[in-house]
Amino acid sequence: MISIRNVSLTYPNGVRALDNVTLEIAKGDFLFLVGSSGTGKSSLLKLLYHDAIPSHGEIVVDGIRVDKLRGARVASLRRHLGVIFQDFKLLNDKTVWENVAFAMHVTGAHTREIERQVPRTLDLVGLAHKSRMFPSELSGGEQQRTAIARAIVNNPKLLLCDEPTGNLDPENTAEIMDLLLRINTKGTTVVVATHNQSVVDRMRKRVVRLEDGRIFTDEERGFYYLGLGQGQVLSG
Amino acid sequence: MDWGKVKFFLGEVGRNFTRNAGMQATAIGTVAVTVVLLGLFLFVRLTLAGVGDRLLKQIEISVYFHTNATPAQENHLRDVLRADQRVTSFTFVPKAEGLKQLRRQTQGSIDVSMLTQNPLPDKFRVRVGDPSEVSAVADSLRGEPGVANVVYGKTIVGRLLQLGVVLRRVSIALIVALLCVAAIIISNTIRLTVYARRREIAIMQLVGATATYVRMPFVCEGVLHGLLGSLVALLILGIGKAALWSKLALALPWLELNGTHVALLPIALQLLLVGVAIGALSSWFSIGRYLRT
Repeated sequence: MISIRNVSLTYPNGVRALDNVTLEIAKGDFLFLVGSSGTGKSSLLKLLYHDAIPSHGEIVVDGIRVDKLRGARVASLRRHLGVIFQDFKLLNDKTVWENVAFAMHVTGAHTREIERQVPRTLDLVGLAHKSRMFPSELSGGEQQRTAIARAIVNNPKLLLCDEPTGNLDPENTAEIMDLLLRINTKGTTVVVATHNQSVVDRMRKRVVRLEDGRIFTDEERGFYYLGLGQGQVLSG
Repeated sequence: MDWGKVKFFLGEVGRNFTRNAGMQATAIGTVAVTVVLLGLFLFVRLTLAGVGDRLLKQIEISVYFHTNATPAQENHLRDVLRADQRVTSFTFVPKAEGLKQLRRQTQGSIDVSMLTQNPLPDKFRVRVGDPSEVSAVADSLRGEPGVANVVYGKTIVGRLLQLGVVLRRVSIALIVALLCVAAIIISNTIRLTVYARRREIAIMQLVGATATYVRMPFVCEGVLHGLLGSLVALLILGIGKAALWSKLALALPWLELNGTHVALLPIALQLLLVGVAIGALSSWFSIGRYLRT
């Protein structure tokens, strides 16, 4: 699904965000990107949805050389993947329904298709009853669920999540992670950048740890800290 | 046809347009002020050109024969004038008719009754279609047999033609300058509205909107600014003309404004077009810098 080979990223201000990173992610995988702030988690995600272009190396997402894309093809790429953020990035003057439908409008989807797909998606994220509300009238968890609905309404093969629970309380965090897991079991590849240890340790999925822009560890069914569950770290 | 899409697009434009009334008013006002200035200027230019044209059209060439010119020579000139494409009309004034006219014109001021014989020669009065060819026609007639003298308002023709040239050059320069200033001011105003929505633009692109898709509502907004601004301007110009024209005609009688016809509809359409173009183009370019990729 995703193939990142020898990728480095240096921002125009000279900061080296990623240094010779190589990573393969299989179709249907659920992967955590962990590491403290500034280690390159968000930068790696940005490369995947073409918000940044690597200085070196190549990136292939679902057979497409993402690092070579320009102009309208970038738009086309983004329609085939979903992205969610810590700050939700919702349009505040649009209702829940409109925010989700918007992602379909830009793809040129037919109105009939939009009217069929949006309620289904809102149902999936459990927001069907709040479809007429505006983001400011929702809780943080509900806003993030709206953002997830928007991200998956076009049935993307890949869902990228940049600190999706960073602004949420434990209860909402658990709900969001459950939702992501459900989306993953339907076949969507999910990549989550986070520094929420309890989330990572509870779910026991593949964990890739970045440090100083390099891949430090890569574990199947891993913990936030290499080989150590949350309890062990706290007690140790 | 998916009417849902049309409705969605118009909804987007409408929503954006009504959201920030202050900013919209500024943009529309800027277009209006510019178009008023432009319209005023075009109008003055056309009026002056019209006055000049009218004066030039009245220019007449008088071709005087020698007193001993033969009828054959006069007929020859008549043939020459008839053949000349530049000449629109001519009349022959025999000396007797000339004296009658002179008597009429000088009645009460100069006593010509004491003239024992008619001192006037025969003459042709000639009108030329294109004012710029008056002097060429006059020169060509000067060499014809039997012609003693050819007279026309040489200085006034020269000055009016020169004025026309200067007016054209100055006006082109001024119009270009005015349009540049307008485009800069309007694109700055629109840039403010775009800046206020930069987050929204980023989100649109994030979910896969193409640059054109993001641009279109803004360009439509620019067209609306242009259209509304121009209409306001035309209204102001219309009211201004209705209120001031007759007073101006009275104050400046030598311009004979009431006899000068200025075609207002083409000016209005031009101004409308200019307003819309400025609005659309400055929107198009203002949003460019917020579109990444």
